[in-house]
Amino acid sequence: MGRFLLDCAVNGARVRREIEPSRTMLEFLREDLGLKGTKEGCGEGECGACLILLDGRAVNSCLMMAVQAHGREIVTIEGIKGRDGGLHPIQKTFMEEGAVQCGFCIPGIIVAAEALLRRRPDATLEDIKLELTGNLCRCTGYEKILSAVELSRDELKKKGKR
Amino acid sequence: MRPDLLVKPSSLAGLWKALPSLPRDRRYLAGGTDLMIAAGHGHAGDCWVDISGLKELKTFRENSSSVFIGAGLTIAELAEKPQVKKWLPALALCAPHYASPSLRNMATIGGNAANGSPCADGVCALLSEKAEIVLGLKGAKRKLPLHSFFLAPKRTSLKKDELILGFEVPKWRHVSAYEKLGPRSYFGISKVTVCVSAELSAGLVKEAVIACASVAPVPLLARKAAEFLYGRRLDEGTISEAAALAQSEASPITDTRSEAAYRKAMVRVLAVRALSRLAA
Repeated sequence: MGRFLLDCAVNGARVRREIEPSRTMLEFLREDLGLKGTKEGCGEGECGACLILLDGRAVNSCLMMAVQAHGREIVTIEGIKGRDGGLHPIQKTFMEEGAVQCGFCIPGIIVAAEALLRRRPDATLEDIKLELTGNLCRCTGYEKILSAVELSRDELKKKGKR
Repeated sequence: MRPDLLVKPSSLAGLWKALPSLPRDRRYLAGGTDLMIAAGHGHAGDCWVDISGLKELKTFRENSSSVFIGAGLTIAELAEKPQVKKWLPALALCAPHYASPSLRNMATIGGNAANGSPCADGVCALLSEKAEIVLGLKGAKRKLPLHSFFLAPKRTSLKKDELILGFEVPKWRHVSAYEKLGPRSYFGISKVTVCVSAELSAGLVKEAVIACASVAPVPLLARKAAEFLYGRRLDEGTISEAAALAQSEASPITDTRSEAAYRKAMVRVLAVRALSRLAA
């Protein structure tokens, strides 16, 4: 079948590539671009391990066709960085708080947290819980994840962190 | 199975032009949150037509008597609009209970109706708000009351290639309550939902619409219960009687999500809760 010339931005760089139209966004990122930070958990939009930012909004890349990203901006976990190009404040607080166990769900959770804190820098604990309703973690019990997101909110609010 | 062929028209005119040359078994791809799941479980068409980028479907406009919401608007986009909070309070109340934040960034209100499910959250809200659905096929447009769009589970009035263009919701001064029971407080598919919109005048019900999800083959309007409320004060006796009527109108089934008897009992409970909220 015919191929599709996908033109989009991924982590700040323009990407133009001929793809199989039947590719999901998740397959495109992992298999065509080699960006393996985005995970496939359930493949049905239940677990949130595959979250990416599409024009700044968190979406499940397992339920999205790559073609749908045409002309749009994608940010994956690889594109979430601190201002110095190192770890993002959210990533640092996840490490400091011990909010990561097996780690499989964490890229999706950090993407969800980043989407929330960009939109609502003053997000409350309740806001954070609601934002993470689409993210499953089978290891941590969530408490440390929630406190890590709260701490990163406080860090980001300090001047010059973003 | 996802199809090998996927086309992405850049305009509505381009879409109508492209259709005749495509395989007959074709589906529209909007937010993808239902179609992708269907494709994971079996055949879902030989060709998909990606309508997610069509600006014509993202229209949002209001005039003195109604609000028009484009079928391609996502649940998140709608929930953020001040006009939705003002004129479509049921839809605004339903939004936090509609799937998860990331799915709300993908799922469209048109897709919610096109999927034809009796449990559709957005449809239930729009039904209570007296929405009409606007359909387009090439140059032709038609408008139906939303409740008559649904024929049976997963079956709608859509003709071959017909597209949902949007929903027209009359402006009426109503308040709403949205009561949903799922397997957990958030991010669950509805076992039972009761959504009530009503206009009250000096404490009396001027008009009420009661929509229920997951308790009939199609999204249900509890007409007897709504009619009973007309001209009455929302006191305990009235609420109780209306809730019993709503319950009598429901015909739920047992499936993987819940049991018929439980659903039937919960229609009454949720109707009491919703009406009590409006009375408060």
